[in-house]
Amino acid sequence: MLEYAWLIPVFPFLAFMLIGLLPKRTLGWEDGGGYAIGGAVGAFVLSMLVIWDVLNGKTLTDDSVKTTWLVIGDSVSVTFGIWIDQLTAIMLLVISVVGTLVVIYSGGYMHEEGVGRRRYYAEIMLFISVMYGLVIASNCLEMFIFWGLVGLCSYLLIGFWYEKPSAASAAKRAFIVTRVGDIMFMAGLIILFKYVGNLDFSTLFAAGVARDAFASDPNMLTLATALIFGGAIGKSAQFPLHEWLPDAMEGPTTVSALIHAATMVKAGIYMTARTYPLLVLTPDSLLFVAIIGGVTALLAATVALAANDIKRVLAYSTISQLGYMTLALGAGGYLFIHAHEANGYAAATFHMMNHGFFKALLFLCAGSVIHAVGTNDMRLMGGLRKKMPITSITMLIGALAIAGLPPLSGFWSKDEVLAAVYSAGEFDWTFFVLWALGIGTAFMTAFYMFRMWFLTFSGEPRSEVHAHESPKIMTVPLMILAGLAVVSGFALFIGDGFKSLVGDSIGIHESEPVLDIAVEIFTDPLTYVSLVLAMVGIVVAYRVYYLPGFDRAVFARGVPGAFQRALENRWYISKFYDDFAYKVWYGFSVVADKFDRYVIDGIVNGFAYLGANSGTVMRKGQSGDVRRYTSLVVVGIVLLILFMVYILPWMTGERQWFWGWF
Amino acid sequence: MIPIEYWIIFSSLLFAIGAYGVLTRKNAIVVLMSIEVMLNAANVNLVAFSSYHTTLHGDSDASGQAFALFSIAIAAAEVAVGLAIILSVYRRYQTIDVDKINILRW
Repeated sequence: MLEYAWLIPVFPFLAFMLIGLLPKRTLGWEDGGGYAIGGAVGAFVLSMLVIWDVLNGKTLTDDSVKTTWLVIGDSVSVTFGIWIDQLTAIMLLVISVVGTLVVIYSGGYMHEEGVGRRRYYAEIMLFISVMYGLVIASNCLEMFIFWGLVGLCSYLLIGFWYEKPSAASAAKRAFIVTRVGDIMFMAGLIILFKYVGNLDFSTLFAAGVARDAFASDPNMLTLATALIFGGAIGKSAQFPLHEWLPDAMEGPTTVSALIHAATMVKAGIYMTARTYPLLVLTPDSLLFVAIIGGVTALLAATVALAANDIKRVLAYSTISQLGYMTLALGAGGYLFIHAHEANGYAAATFHMMNHGFFKALLFLCAGSVIHAVGTNDMRLMGGLRKKMPITSITMLIGALAIAGLPPLSGFWSKDEVLAAVYSAGEFDWTFFVLWALGIGTAFMTAFYMFRMWFLTFSGEPRSEVHAHESPKIMTVPLMILAGLAVVSGFALFIGDGFKSLVGDSIGIHESEPVLDIAVEIFTDPLTYVSLVLAMVGIVVAYRVYYLPGFDRAVFARGVPGAFQRALENRWYISKFYDDFAYKVWYGFSVVADKFDRYVIDGIVNGFAYLGANSGTVMRKGQSGDVRRYTSLVVVGIVLLILFMVYILPWMTGERQWFWGWF
Repeated sequence: MIPIEYWIIFSSLLFAIGAYGVLTRKNAIVVLMSIEVMLNAANVNLVAFSSYHTTLHGDSDASGQAFALFSIAIAAAEVAVGLAIILSVYRRYQTIDVDKINILRW
C-alpha cells in the first residue's frame, strides 16, 4: 500500500483541475463543492490505508522508488520520491481529517459566496494537495517546492476577498513575511547541498553523513540548521516573523482553520521535525529553536489576552501553541543528545496532532459564530449559548482541550511538552527558564480561551442580531472534531504508546508499558502545577467575564491600562514593522528612486542626446553635392599619400623630419 | 624601349587631367568622359607594367593586359549605366548640371 502513497496528493489535485477547468454548468452542488469533497475524501481514504500500514510497523523510507528530477554535471543528481514514516503518518492523519472536515463545512459556510465558490474550492484543493505533497516528499528540494506552493496557496486564500484592501494587504503580508523565512530555508539548503552534495533524506539523515561532510567546519552545519529553522520561523509564525498570522484572519474562517490546524503553519513544525537528524548534531541551533519557541509562546499568549476579535484570539493562541511545539523540539534535541530519549520530539508531534484537531474545532466554531452574527468583534457578541447550543458546547470542549484540562487531548500533550522541557533543564539551565515561560503560557492560555468563550456565549446579547444555529453540514464536522479533541490525547496509550511510535522515525524505539506512562504523568508534581495554573486561569476568567460585579474599567487606567494598550497594539511589533517599512525602507526607496532617475537614466538619456545631436551636426556633411564629394575624395587620397610617403616613414624612424623628405 | 618612367608620367598626367575634369566640370556627360580618361590612365599603367614584366622579373606575364581588358569592359558597362542615369535625370529635372542635382542628401 505504501508505494501508492504518491496518489494521495493526486486526488485533491485532480479535484483542483476539474473545478478549475470544467464548464460551469457541470460543477454541480455548491459550484464545485462536490468535486472538492470527492477529492478530499479520496485522499482521506488513501491516507487512512497508509496510516494503517504505518501503525502495523511498515515504513517506506530509504528504499522508496525515486525518479531523477534534475542532473547537474556528470555526478550530481536530484531525485524525487516519497518518504513515509511515522511522522509522515501523523501529518497525513491531521491533514486528511481536518482537510476533509473543513471542505465539508465549507459547503455550509461558503454557501452565500456565489460565483466565488468555484475559485475557493479550486484553491482549497490545491492547498490540501500541495500540503500532502510536502509531507510525503523524500528530498529537501522536493519539499521546498511544495513549501513554496503552500505559501502561494495561503496567499491566494487569505486574499480570497481581494476587493477588500485589508484582505489584499494581509495576503501580501503573509506571502512576503513567510518568504523571508523561505529564503533562509533555501540558504540552509544551499549550504547543505554544497557540503553533502545531495538533498535526499536517505543520504542527509544517514548516520554520520552530515557530520563527516561538515567535519572540517562544523560551524557551517550550525549555520545551515539554524537557517533551515529560519524557514520554520516564517512558515510557523514564530517570533519575530509571527505578525502575518493574525492578519491572515482576513480570509474566510475555513481557510484560517485549514492554515492553523493542518496546512500552512504545521509545515514549519513538520519541517523542523523532519530535519531533526541534522538538528541534533548542532546543540546551538537546538537552543536557538527552543528559545524562539518559548519566547513566541509567551509573547503570543499575552497578546491574546487583550484581543477583541474572536479570530485574532485564536490566531494568537495558534502562534502560542506553535511556540510550544518549537520549544518541545528544541528541548527534545537536548534529550536526544544527552539521554537518547525521544520525549521532546514525541511531545512536539503529539501536540501538533492534538492541536490540529482542537484548533480546527475552535476555528470552525468561531466560523459558525461569525456566520450567525456577522461580526468578528466579541464585544458585539454575548448570550449566544441558548441560540447556538451545538456550537457553544463544541467550542467549550475545544477551549477546555487547549486549556489543558484532563482528560481532553490538550492536557496530555501540553503536559508532555512541559515535562520534556523541564527534564532538558538537567542539561542546560536555560530550559528551566523556558519551562517557566511555558507554565506562564499555560495559565494565560486557559484565561484567554475562557475570556473568549464567556464573552461570546454567556451573558446578555450586546448587539441586535438574530443569531441561529448553523446548518447540519457545519455542525456535524464540529461534533466530529469535538469528539477527536476529546479522544486524540489517548493516542499516548495506544499500542506501545505514542512515544515509541514516533521515536522510530528518529531511530529511538523505547517501548514502555502504557500504564507506566500514565503513572509517570500523574505522580509528577509538575503535572499538577500546570493543571492548577490552568484551572486558576479559568476561574479568573470566570470571575472577570462571567460573574457580575467586576469593574473591567480597571484595565483602562494606570499601569494595567498601559499594559492593556501595549497588548492591544500587539506589543507594537506590527507597528514597528510598519514604521520600519514606511520610514526606513521608504527613505531608502526614495534614494534608490533618485539614483535611478538621475544617475542611471541620466547616463542613458545623455547617450541618447549625444546620438541625436551629433547626428544633427554630422548630417550637414551629406550635402548631396557630387563635386564636393569628389573633391573631398581627392583631398583625402592626397592626404593619405602624403601620410604614407612622409609621415609614416618618419614615425617608424626610416626618415628624418622635414630634411629627410628630400 | 621607352623607359617605364615615361609611361608612368604619361598615365599620371592623364589621371590628373581626368580628375581635374571631374572636379571642375558641371556637365554630367563631361564628368563621365573625365572618369573614362581616369580609367584609361589606369589601363595605360596596367599595360605598361605588364610589358615591362620580362625586363623586371625575367619571365613574361600577361595578367596586366588581361586586367586592362576587364577594365575596358567594365568601363563600357559603367558608361552605359551612367548615361542611362543621366538620361533619366534629364527627363526628371530638365538639366544635367551636377551642381543642381543635389537632392540625394539628408
